[in-house]
Amino acid sequence: MQLSKADLLKAYRMMKTIREFEERLHVEFATGEIPGFVHLYAGEEASATGFCMHLDGRDKIASTHRGHGHSIGKGCDVDAMMAEIYGKKSGLCGGKGGSMHIADLDKGMLGANGIVGGGPPLICGAGLAAKVLKTGGVAIAFVGDGAFNQGTTAESLNLASVWRLPCLFVVENNGYAEATSSKYSVSCDDFTDRAAAYSMPGIAVDGHDFFAVYEAAGEAIKRARSGGGPSLIEVKLNRYYGHFEGDAQTYRGVDEVKNIRATKDCLVLFRRRVEGAKLLDASELNKIDADVMAQIENAVKKAKAAPKPTAADLMTDVYVSY
Amino acid sequence: MANNQARGAKVGVVANPAAGRDIRRLVAQASVFPIAEKRNMMTRAFSALGTTGVEEVLLMPDGSGLSDRIQRALKLPLPEGQTWPKISFIDFEPEDSPADTLRAVKRMVEQGVGAIIVLGGDGTNRLVARAAGNVPLVSLSTGTNNVFPVMREATIAGLAAGLVATGQVDVAEACYRNKLLRLEVNGTPSDLALVDLCISDELFVGSKALWRAEGLDQLFVSFAEADAIGLSSIAGLIRPVSRRAPFGLWFDLCAPVQAARVVTAPIAPGIVVDVGIEAVNSFALGEAVLVRLGRGVVALDGEREVEFSPADQVVVRLAEDGPLSIDIERTMMLAAQHGLFVRNTPVARGAGVRTAQGG
Repeated sequence: MQLSKADLLKAYRMMKTIREFEERLHVEFATGEIPGFVHLYAGEEASATGFCMHLDGRDKIASTHRGHGHSIGKGCDVDAMMAEIYGKKSGLCGGKGGSMHIADLDKGMLGANGIVGGGPPLICGAGLAAKVLKTGGVAIAFVGDGAFNQGTTAESLNLASVWRLPCLFVVENNGYAEATSSKYSVSCDDFTDRAAAYSMPGIAVDGHDFFAVYEAAGEAIKRARSGGGPSLIEVKLNRYYGHFEGDAQTYRGVDEVKNIRATKDCLVLFRRRVEGAKLLDASELNKIDADVMAQIENAVKKAKAAPKPTAADLMTDVYVSY
Repeated sequence: MANNQARGAKVGVVANPAAGRDIRRLVAQASVFPIAEKRNMMTRAFSALGTTGVEEVLLMPDGSGLSDRIQRALKLPLPEGQTWPKISFIDFEPEDSPADTLRAVKRMVEQGVGAIIVLGGDGTNRLVARAAGNVPLVSLSTGTNNVFPVMREATIAGLAAGLVATGQVDVAEACYRNKLLRLEVNGTPSDLALVDLCISDELFVGSKALWRAEGLDQLFVSFAEADAIGLSSIAGLIRPVSRRAPFGLWFDLCAPVQAARVVTAPIAPGIVVDVGIEAVNSFALGEAVLVRLGRGVVALDGEREVEFSPADQVVVRLAEDGPLSIDIERTMMLAAQHGLFVRNTPVARGAGVRTAQGG
């Protein structure tokens, strides 16, 4: 696995952007200014980044309720994302989608999804299109441990395998489907055990370690691009916040999140590795931190100041013609 | 069977739930070992341990469902004819990381187990070896690159572990001492390998497994079998060295196109590739070799574990104080010689035996 200095800087910037975006939303949502619900991705940044670093314009992804990290990873505009979450006309979907339906088809981001398990069937379609049109593209469904138990996911795993589609099923297992522990609700003892039933390889990877995710993602994507078919990857990670903002999280241990933040922060672990090996200087990373802080501050300011959609916008974008 | 020596005998069982889950299932066709089968292996071993008179089995807790499965099995009636020892979980909150294994083994040793059954690959055994001290191991293969553990039926492994733990077969007769490779970074002990230690020019530990031949720079082996899978096969196909030989080997490697000698070796399941050999050296017990590469990673028993940079001095040493292993075949042979599984009954010779003529 080789990563250039530019790759390392890009990966850090992507993770940091996701983190700051989410940390800021955590603060802003509490003010009551943001409509609807938000589900924050903080803590899981190495997963979206590890996969999306390998993707280009040919590739499609489908996301979950917790979709901001995947959107940033796939290149969605941060200002337009923030405006969308604020329900503003300048938002990525004209302010009509909000956090849970954020999408940018031009970027290959097929959407966060209000339906648990809604992404995998879309990804089978995107994978089939790539295969038929011979674009060399791959399609990735990010799902959670809750969606992993949904029928749509099971059907999609089967279909992707039968048609040998260039698809990846990435199960971001943060331990809880809303408030239900995956240890209770997932029938198999290990997520990857299910892969064999669909005749595809299944591997597990530490989602706190960018390098581990990046390498596994690269191999799975390479395999899919070259016609090798789908694979299942369980990314073991943790979320820093509740299922949604406002979740009291009574189902979690007293110091659970505190311990995770102290020992498994993917950004801290990344910095320690690249600084320790003298691949990057602290000053280079500090500069990214400062840039990202300013970028998010600016995005929030612009989103707050932006106009809302008007009554005349109500009947637009209802149907899409293909 | 007679088990009056067994009073209070304990055996530890370490099953690594994460073994056999790594990237080699994606890049090669490495075997998949479902957790359900690991659980079945454990329960077969419990039955065997109960037969030998072991009173208590200590288990490692885990967050991956394996201990849940065992807990559920304990609530059901035992299969007919089986007697299990008392099954206890060591009490700590698992982190679902290698640290769990170290912690569990340490506690097993403190609580006086007479043997530890290990279900996992070379990586799992490496962790157990770090903490097991003089407690003998029975190592069963459920990992990927399995050279150290053996592929044996868990019932037989359980019998052998039970015989040694209860003192029915003498530890000194049943076990052998392994060599090991010690890694020192900047003069400080860092980690160890049981079979092979490889230096690669990869920059990152990444997803841990090492399956590419490109960039392999040096290889150190404590033993090398010609029929091994994994990096030690490079050595085993050039100059086999037994587990008990008082030396190991180390190699300088290079790209096949630059090498005067090339070996075609199965360095990972399904991956048989050319590796260039620059030099082959005998590795004496106690000898220390300075790693020549400036920046790279150290793979221990096939898994990238330690990243080093030009500021680090990396040394590999061959040591003779590795873990004790129970030789299953020899243990069962001794049990047979001592008649441990055979008893006389009051039934007179021939009585009740059907013969072809008698019907």
